[in-house]
Amino acid sequence: MEILVYGTINSVSLALMGLGFAMVYGISRVPNFAHGALYIICGFVTWTLFQIVGLSYFVAIILSLCVNGILGMSMYRFVLIRVRGMSISEIIASYAIGLVILEGLRFGGFRGMTYTLPVFMEGSLMIGGVPVDYHRVVMTIIGVALVAGLWVFTHYTRIGLALQGMAQDERAAMMLGIDSDFMAMVAMGFGAVLAGVAAILILPLGNIVVESGYHVLIMSIAVCIVGGLGSWMGAFFAAFIIGYAQILTVVYIGSHFQMVVAILAIILTLILKPSGLFGQQKELEERV
Amino acid sequence: MLEAKDLMVFYENMLALNNISIKCDDNQIVGVFGANSAGKSTLMYALSGIMLDIQKKEDMAGGERITLTGDVLLQNRSIMDMKPSLRAKAGIILCPERRRLFKESSVLENLRIGGYLATRAEAKQTMEYVMEVFPALIKLKKRLGGFLSGGEQQMVAIGRALMAQPKILLLDEPLLGLSPFMQSTLIRGIKVIQEERNISVIISEQYARPVFPIVDYAYILENGAAVMEGTREELMDNPDVKAAYFGVS
Ligand SMILES: Nc1ncnc2c1ncn2[C@@H]1O[C@H](COP(=O)(O)OP(=O)(O)O)[C@@H](O)[C@H]1O
Ligand SMILES: [Mg+2]
Repeated sequence: MEILVYGTINSVSLALMGLGFAMVYGISRVPNFAHGALYIICGFVTWTLFQIVGLSYFVAIILSLCVNGILGMSMYRFVLIRVRGMSISEIIASYAIGLVILEGLRFGGFRGMTYTLPVFMEGSLMIGGVPVDYHRVVMTIIGVALVAGLWVFTHYTRIGLALQGMAQDERAAMMLGIDSDFMAMVAMGFGAVLAGVAAILILPLGNIVVESGYHVLIMSIAVCIVGGLGSWMGAFFAAFIIGYAQILTVVYIGSHFQMVVAILAIILTLILKPSGLFGQQKELEERV
Repeated sequence: MLEAKDLMVFYENMLALNNISIKCDDNQIVGVFGANSAGKSTLMYALSGIMLDIQKKEDMAGGERITLTGDVLLQNRSIMDMKPSLRAKAGIILCPERRRLFKESSVLENLRIGGYLATRAEAKQTMEYVMEVFPALIKLKKRLGGFLSGGEQQMVAIGRALMAQPKILLLDEPLLGLSPFMQSTLIRGIKVIQEERNISVIISEQYARPVFPIVDYAYILENGAAVMEGTREELMDNPDVKAAYFGVS
């Protein structure tokens, strides 16, 4: 029971971490190696607005999500647009931006002291005999709702559908009047906001530390590779596989093997099925 | 309304379009006929602006150098530097070779994605219109693009292009690989669409015979150059054309 409950919670938090990365890659084929940095900066911005500026927590969250969105869009508009289509340059450029943000935060004094964000709800409840705090429950519900919302968004709204078109065939989308650079910028903004949402849901469970930026990046890459690069639904399912596998290792082997599980999952996927669990595109092409 | 003037396209040093001048007036169907690698797709890409994107990507990846010279005019204004999304907005919609449907999206979603430039009302009206012209699609609404037959795919591709509210529809080899029955269904559909929507159509094909009955004017391409042109009647009476493109002599 413990495994089931904590496995689910862990999986949803992994999905939250990876969703933004998966979406940006799926749509614009830009692997955003600054994803972890966007995650952590949202935590610090929220903290600053709440603790230093003294805004209400809700307002602080909304504002910092906006900041993240703008940051993501500017990253594309001013830097990545120049290297789009050259994977290695995209990785180097986005990783460099990530490093600047993360090390800038460290340099700027966000270290030593403990920084924490408040949980949404104090207290805990019992689920099948396992104690779970309310915040984790809220996080799981919002996480699942977010995935459902994203599905609706990409299937029913004009922009969402255009993003889907771009993800499948950029040039065919262009022929229909969809501007590739604009959509990539929108996707990057969305990805950054999703990273921020993940941060605000996950960070209250611990301290905000710069290092978790790197951790989040690695986990995002792991779920995306296992799920099949480019398929954000695949990433969602992969999060569950890795999530449960991690909890199982924690219970039966030891907690410091968590990271090993993620790395192992990447390596195994690359060896056994390089297109990932949901490498749909390839399969379809083979059938037609 | 759409015109190419002295258009030349080089892929590196290979001349793919050689000094082409073509013209398509309002409410006209113009045919562009030529064998494989005559330059039909290159012409379509140059008209729709996709060539600019191909050029940009090649340039970024350090690939081949693509050079375009000459002019493309829409309503007598040069659109040579206009990017594809803006040309689409101006009404030039390309329905590309091999259809390029969104394979993981349903027929309905393919059409909705096509409606990106349309207003809500236009999208709704055009969606109904597409189902009217191609009733075969009604049963297939939920089917994924990747699981349609060639003919069905082509209907969706044309429908998707219509959703973008074209003034000029560019069709690049729409009949490729289809059965004669499906070919005539599509050709009839294209004629109906042109009349009912009051649009112009430029259609390229390898074989002129199935398309010829609906074209008003046609060009014949060979190795990137327009070697012949004329109205349907003029070309039909030309013995050379008959021999080369209709297989009769
Ligand atoms: N991207 C490209 N790079 C180099 N040569 C090309 C490229 N695309 C087309 N070509 C060449 O240009 C010529 C015209 O091609 P294309 O326009 O595709 O002809 P068609 O559509 O009539 O079959 C062909 O000789 C083809 O090999
Ligand atoms: Mg062609």
